[in-house]
Amino acid sequence: MKRSLAAIPAILGLAILAAPAEAGPINVMADACSGCHGTDGQSVGAMPGFDAKAADAKSAAELKKLLRDYRSGAREATVMGRIAKGYTEAQLDAIVDHFKK
Amino acid sequence: MINISRRTFTGFVGAAGALSALGLSGCGGGPRIVVVGGGFGGATAAKYVKRYLPSANVVLIDADKSHFTCPFSNTVIAGMNDMAFIERKFDALANKHGITVVTDLVVGIDPVSKAVKTKGGNTFNYDKLVVSPGIDLKWGALAGYDQAAAEIMPHAWKAGPQTMLLRKQIEAMPNGGVVAISAPGNPFRCPPGPYERASLIANYLKRNKPKSKILILDSKDAFAKDKLFKEGWEKMYDDIIEWVPAAKNGKVTRVDAKAGVLETDFEKIKPAVANVIPPQSAGAIAISTGLTDKSGFCPVNPNTFESTLVKDVFVIGDSCIAGDMPKSGYSASSQAKVAAGAIAAMVMGDKPAPMSAINTCYSLLAPDYGISVAGVYSVQDGKIAAIKGSGGVSPMGAPYQFRKKEADFAGGWYASISQDSWG
Ligand SMILES: Cc1cc2nc3c(=O)[nH]c(=O)nc-3n(C[C@H](O)[C@H](O)[C@H](O)COP(=O)(O)OP(=O)(O)OC[C@H]3O[C@@H](n4cnc5c(N)ncnc54)[C@H](O)[C@@H]3O)c2cc1C
Repeated sequence: MKRSLAAIPAILGLAILAAPAEAGPINVMADACSGCHGTDGQSVGAMPGFDAKAADAKSAAELKKLLRDYRSGAREATVMGRIAKGYTEAQLDAIVDHFKK
Repeated sequence: MINISRRTFTGFVGAAGALSALGLSGCGGGPRIVVVGGGFGGATAAKYVKRYLPSANVVLIDADKSHFTCPFSNTVIAGMNDMAFIERKFDALANKHGITVVTDLVVGIDPVSKAVKTKGGNTFNYDKLVVSPGIDLKWGALAGYDQAAAEIMPHAWKAGPQTMLLRKQIEAMPNGGVVAISAPGNPFRCPPGPYERASLIANYLKRNKPKSKILILDSKDAFAKDKLFKEGWEKMYDDIIEWVPAAKNGKVTRVDAKAGVLETDFEKIKPAVANVIPPQSAGAIAISTGLTDKSGFCPVNPNTFESTLVKDVFVIGDSCIAGDMPKSGYSASSQAKVAAGAIAAMVMGDKPAPMSAINTCYSLLAPDYGISVAGVYSVQDGKIAAIKGSGGVSPMGAPYQFRKKEADFAGGWYASISQDSWG
């Protein structure tokens, strides 16, 4: 980003006028979850949500434990076990941190 | 002065472009991202490009005023829902997310001048283009099956008038009639789709026309989640559904729509209702733009979904060749996020994040009986591949409660992905 900024100092002023809102973090790995759990984890149907408004809202630590248990098979699932096994524990933690930021 | 760096795309449009964009038009001078198609792939791409790159001028072009989803269209065919249930409007994309939504048919893409032309006579210039036109049907690939034949023997493989045509035919059919479903060979949109359809039509027939039968005439000897489907059919529809694999001459080789006849190599069948799901290709606009290879689908860079044939054009969804990922709405939407992330990174001069995607597809065998297939994907040896040890299908022999729960989750999935893509 810095590079592109430096490359165009002359027109910087113009861009400020059109300056839009702050960009959201790009987190393709975490956002893949939103297909079932809703944008930002705001599930609108029978799927568990994990935003603060979710009926069964869980803390980041609880969610991390849950996902690790799905991954190891310690907790039974319909589909989440099959999905959690596609990630390392570190990746699962990072996904939770993204939604709980 | 501080927060502008990543949205300073004037490098893209040049000083003159930035100047004119800052005129009284009300447009910003951000990068111009055009999206063709407002289905699962296109709608998600438009929304997530805007999320990742708020300064972008995102234009979403769809031929229709709203999108009717194929997911849950089988419940419409079986009379469980109406068309309004599967209609997705573009209002939230326009009003909530600031995307310019255009209702028009894209008739040409010029990758040299980087312009998209519509039937209505408009031209949209792009810096990056996302193409997600779904599938088109290969008319004539199955002898005798053309557009006119589809008005008599619906495919219902694009949701809309075809969905209702098939439903009305089934409703009008006498008790005791046969519904024949001709299923294509791989690859095609929604591998478990024909079998979910057979299940839900059987569910309708069981309640309304119990003497009727369903004949699945297949071009294949195996299909997605086949063991699970057969387990459920045995329990619920044993006397209704008959599946005829290619090895038992199930493959339909010719149709005579006017005579109402389906032909295999050995037989002529005259069902009361014929649902012919023909071979498919990438959407027509992908073909005419030169985005397809000889398979009829579009080769892409597996990390970014940028076409390997045309620069700055990203092909996602059913039209692209995505390795192990099946052609599903979930895949299309997950690929859209990968492409959106890559586009945002490229525009900002960053390296795209590693590709990571999911597919989760539910199939309903009855309103309270669901099964699923899931997969997590990354790029391995230059190809999109399922991550070892992950994914797979629902267990065999699961108790009723498990199937019921998955049916509930199917509805939950549909609500959430609708919100995530169009809401
Ligand atoms: C019966 C059935 C059931 C299914 N069930 C499921 C399911 O349960 N779960 C699941 O994940 N998937 C399911 N699918 C698959 C899913 O529908 C597709 O994989 C998905 O729609 C692909 O998304 P897409 O963006 O590639 O194309 P689409 O969603 O088809 O979107 C393409 C859009 O592009 C527009 N378009 C095309 N060409 C042009 C042009 N030239 N100009 C302007 N606009 C254009 C079209 O109008 C359309 O709105 C099912 C499919 C079928 C047929």
